Amino acid sequence: MLFPTVDFAIFFVLVFLGHWLLNHLAQPWKWFMIAASYVFYAWWDWRFVLLLATISIIAQLGAIAVARCRTPRTKLAATALAVTALLTPLAFFKYYAFFAVSATNTLTSIGINSSLPLIQVVLPVGISFFTFMAISYVVEVYRGEFPVAGWTDTFLYLSFFPHLVAGPIVRPAELIPQLAERRDERHVDVAGAAWLILGGLFKKVVVSSYLAAQIVDPVFGDPARRSTADALFGILGYAIVIYADFSGYTDIAIGVAKLLGFRFPKNFDRPYAARSIQDFWRRWHMTLSRWLRDYLYIPLGGNRRGERRTGWNIMITMVLGGLWHGAAWTFVLWGAYHGALLVAHHVRARRTPDVPPEAWLRVAGQRVATFALVCVGWVFFRADSLEIGLSLLGRLVTGWSTPNEFVTPLVVMIVFGMLGLQFWPRGMGLWLQAGLSRLKPVPLGLVLSLAMLVIVILGPAGVAPFIYFQF
Amino acid sequence: MPAGRVLVVILVALLTWTLMYAPALKRAAEASPLGLRRSASLVVLTPIAAASEFFGIDALAETIERAVGRPPRAGGAFVPPPDDVPVVPDPDPDDPGNGDGSGNGPSEETEPIRVPAPTRRLRVAVIGDSLAAGLGYYAERVFRPRLVRVSRQGRISTGLTRPDYFNWPLAMRRIVDSWDPDLVIVMLGENDHQSIQTVSGQRVAQIGTGEWPAEYRTRVLQMMRIATSRGAKVVWAGLPMSADARFSEHSQRQNDIFEFAASISPNVVYFDAWERFRSPRGGYTAYFREGGRVLLIREGDGLHFNSVGYTIVAREIAEVAAQEFGLLPRTFETEL
Repeated sequence: MLFPTVDFAIFFVLVFLGHWLLNHLAQPWKWFMIAASYVFYAWWDWRFVLLLATISIIAQLGAIAVARCRTPRTKLAATALAVTALLTPLAFFKYYAFFAVSATNTLTSIGINSSLPLIQVVLPVGISFFTFMAISYVVEVYRGEFPVAGWTDTFLYLSFFPHLVAGPIVRPAELIPQLAERRDERHVDVAGAAWLILGGLFKKVVVSSYLAAQIVDPVFGDPARRSTADALFGILGYAIVIYADFSGYTDIAIGVAKLLGFRFPKNFDRPYAARSIQDFWRRWHMTLSRWLRDYLYIPLGGNRRGERRTGWNIMITMVLGGLWHGAAWTFVLWGAYHGALLVAHHVRARRTPDVPPEAWLRVAGQRVATFALVCVGWVFFRADSLEIGLSLLGRLVTGWSTPNEFVTPLVVMIVFGMLGLQFWPRGMGLWLQAGLSRLKPVPLGLVLSLAMLVIVILGPAGVAPFIYFQF
Repeated sequence: MPAGRVLVVILVALLTWTLMYAPALKRAAEASPLGLRRSASLVVLTPIAAASEFFGIDALAETIERAVGRPPRAGGAFVPPPDDVPVVPDPDPDDPGNGDGSGNGPSEETEPIRVPAPTRRLRVAVIGDSLAAGLGYYAERVFRPRLVRVSRQGRISTGLTRPDYFNWPLAMRRIVDSWDPDLVIVMLGENDHQSIQTVSGQRVAQIGTGEWPAEYRTRVLQMMRIATSRGAKVVWAGLPMSADARFSEHSQRQNDIFEFAASISPNVVYFDAWERFRSPRGGYTAYFREGGRVLLIREGDGLHFNSVGYTIVAREIAEVAAQEFGLLPRTFETEL
């Protein structure tokens, strides 16, 4: 079920009602929310529900086994077994086709006429997200940072519909304790939630959909015949599209959770205002960044084993992070590119520490340079192949004589407008929320309906799937 | 705010929005495939839309739509709004013969497609539903830009059964008259597993009845006539097999109609995508073998092609055009 649909609106009204009616009954409330979340997920394909339940069972059995082991060695073995079991479905669903094709072609190239079964594997929506959350739960139990939760808590933690299909990747300590508390039905932050939901809808339905159709798809579809300006705004446009699409979804998810009395961690913090590539990763998909840091980079040794080993650890983490996004060499390249940038940043930071106070020109230069580097990475993230990515970058310098086809004043305005919002004063949003919160229910409902109407009219017919659903 | 009041906010917001936008929602429901969901939506939305129109509540949505430069989506009889009509490219400045109809006059005989030159490029229009929308992007890659200009005219969720939603014959007429393509590639039909309606939304042939194939054939032939009316050649691509076997039988019947219509229409050739992209055992496959290599060519939805797949489809269609209409091999890429 997609958030910006009538289906979800009806579903949410029913869930909202049931949620607050059952709020004081801990166990019935949990069963109700699990059922609602499974209905939400089954809307795509009921068979996916079996996978979600299987992952939840593996995670819970794994956590129990880890907690019962007496020695560090058996604990570690149980954890490794559970994590492997959790990763197996992800590996199969996400990488089977990539592996089967690569292996068959490699064997053919050396004269072995053999083939793995060429079956079509449909990727279950959001599998990467709930698998990562399940791993997070098992590893935290292993580390002693979180106790084994009850079965219903584990099922609800992994399936809770606001985060289910595209995050944020919520840690056990951030959500499971909230499941045990009674939500305060007297204070629901409707203004804050409405701000996030409507802002998210605007970013997804209006900004992302428009730029994708207007310039990004045609430019990335056939870069070889695009002008320099088309290529440039196609790349800048994609930077906005992926940000608006993903942060829009996250904002809606956080807002929906807020209406149910839950707090979710932030997932984006003005990433295109970053002053360095390290700063970018602290602002972009923050819950994935910290997951990779805590469950991959630090276990690999982090920065504790010298400069060279730190560099390798960063590269491994980022390449695997790239591969997490999809089974394609372009994602591997994108991960390796960011890994290399982070390594370069670390080396430079050690040798030339910043000297405050800093001039605004220097800060602006850092921001522009970081954004440019990030955009180059997005080219390979979005391109169908390395050749297409290189061709598009090449058009930045070779497309001067080609007439522009896709850059329009509106495209330019949206791109720069969205970039400008990265520097929007934080207080402005709160000020508007405060204004909304002063309204009585009926006027507030009317204002929100008007905002929804404008968003729907500005958006195209139909809603494209969210980009991050496929990850 | 207490949860009870928040529920009031949500209900007021949703109900008011539904009331203001009901005519457009009703139109979207009418365009959706037949079934319980469509029927239920129409039962709910029809009285709300009527009330919205009677009390003039829909005027606000129409005012906003006009203010942002869009024609209202609500309304009775279908009048193709400008943003629903394919936008044909501007005339090629390097092409003196472009748009004036001098390229190829109407002809009943199968003549070779004209020889393009950098100053007078071949015009290829890719027409149809979401399959054609994807194909259009990759046709641009396959056809060489120095000699061929591609116009992408794919429209998602469209077909020939529901001209009340999107009127393809009218759109095709506009494309042909204003752009005068040399080659038209058509790929549509995946949304046509439903009863056939008229422009004003009246049902003329129930799906599953004997009237359906006859009416559908009439519409396919009409499309072919319009597409070839100024001398263009047409490659009509049949539906590829999809992973969802529920519609296989119907899709094959559609393909039979496409193939038959192409066989009796001058300057039209049928490309059998079903046969070309099925597995050796005759079932669905997401893979394609070429030159000893295996390629993944279909999306996970089991219907659409991925970038490699669309590129192969575009290339195969170009090869069919070369074989049937004398399209020069130097106008398109033969390698992936």
